[in-house]
Amino acid sequence: MRKLLGMFILFISLHAQDYELGNGIQVGSLPLYLGGYFSLNYENKANEKKYNIDDLSVLGYGSYEKFSYMAEFEFHDLYSQNSVGDKTTIKRDTELHAERLYLDYEYNEHYTFRAGRYNSSIGFWNLLPINVLRPTTSDPKMQDLFPKFTTGADLTYASYDDNGYRIDLMLQNNEDLDPSYNNYTIDKLYGLGGVYEKDNYSIKLNGGYFHTKNTLDDNLYYFLLSAKYDVDDYEISSEIGRQESKKRVTTPYAGYLQGLYRFTPKHVGIVRLESYDDKLQNKSDTFGVLGYTYRPAYPIAIKSEYQFHTLNKENQFLFSVSVLF
Amino acid sequence: MKLFLAIFLLSNIASGHEYVVVANKHMEDLSPSQIKAIFLKKLIVINDLQAVPINLDARDPLRAKFEQQILQMSFDRLQAHWTKEHYLGHRPPISLKSQESVKAFIKKVDGSIGYIEMDNMDDNLKILYKWSD
Repeated sequence: MRKLLGMFILFISLHAQDYELGNGIQVGSLPLYLGGYFSLNYENKANEKKYNIDDLSVLGYGSYEKFSYMAEFEFHDLYSQNSVGDKTTIKRDTELHAERLYLDYEYNEHYTFRAGRYNSSIGFWNLLPINVLRPTTSDPKMQDLFPKFTTGADLTYASYDDNGYRIDLMLQNNEDLDPSYNNYTIDKLYGLGGVYEKDNYSIKLNGGYFHTKNTLDDNLYYFLLSAKYDVDDYEISSEIGRQESKKRVTTPYAGYLQGLYRFTPKHVGIVRLESYDDKLQNKSDTFGVLGYTYRPAYPIAIKSEYQFHTLNKENQFLFSVSVLF
Repeated sequence: MKLFLAIFLLSNIASGHEYVVVANKHMEDLSPSQIKAIFLKKLIVINDLQAVPINLDARDPLRAKFEQQILQMSFDRLQAHWTKEHYLGHRPPISLKSQESVKAFIKKVDGSIGYIEMDNMDDNLKILYKWSD
């Protein structure tokens, strides 16, 4: 990975005049583009402070006739310094992860088939999960309702005749390509989702089943309703879901309501209200997030946020710098 | 003479400029939603052909009109959109410097779609959508 990263930086340096930040770079005249991103985070909560290099990733993609392909490899939590009171712990995770690795085939204007490892097509937040592209440094708790990654197949039917709608069928019946790099270690997932888009509105419904290997409640079902209204100056979004096992309701609800206002293209304010009830961890909380993002250019995000929790010890300040190149 | 001149000027003001989204003669009819989806790279294949959207140069005033009319997105939102699409593995449409280049490309490459001024239209192209100021 270090060699790959070094080669990538050298390649960009040699083609500096053609390079635009956040747009990747083409490898010669091949149907292959390279890019990457990183994220540096700071978190301050109660008696605990954490600094970390959260993501360091290289990606390559392209298309040829009806095929398109994506490969992304990442160091996650490459360096982490955690201070609790006077005690400081430093961790380095140098394991390279296969974040995404898939091949798409566009059968016709309606059907697309995907095989490989991909961001699970669930909700809106999970489709653009990296720090530099998402609204805040923190992720909403509802992201824990379902596996963030699926290794298997995805069949999509889409129509853009008058409005737009899309139906996704996700299928996994095998081990995860990178089982240590997912929020759940799964070997099965069957999920169905539908999204409807009209003008600036989008509404999405997802539901499915997955089998996880490391928990007592191993057969889990998720349901998620997502909605978004997005115009030039502002965006309002909300996602709410539920998770159950065969034995019990594991998370009766987890959701958020978020408003995002673009004061200017460079200055964005975010307000988010979240609430969840996690029966497995025996924890429920309602909290507000106030965030501000400064983008000197869109592919650079300098973010700060403060979270106000009903569980006061969870109040926290987060700061991050992330770049997509 | 003055009356003729006045009528001529008034008729030009009233009609405004017209613009068209065009493809070659083999392209099927497309709705504005489909044209938008093609230019945002959500719709990749049309009629078993790879759809190839063609933009004019970023500084061309017609491109701004097209983005406002069809894509209904500001320049900044489009920049954000293409940064996100880079993460998702999609490239923005190619850009050509002139409407003549767009016409020549469309005539050569099946599946390509572009936009030009109506005054530059010719019989070898098919109008998919028309709008005026």
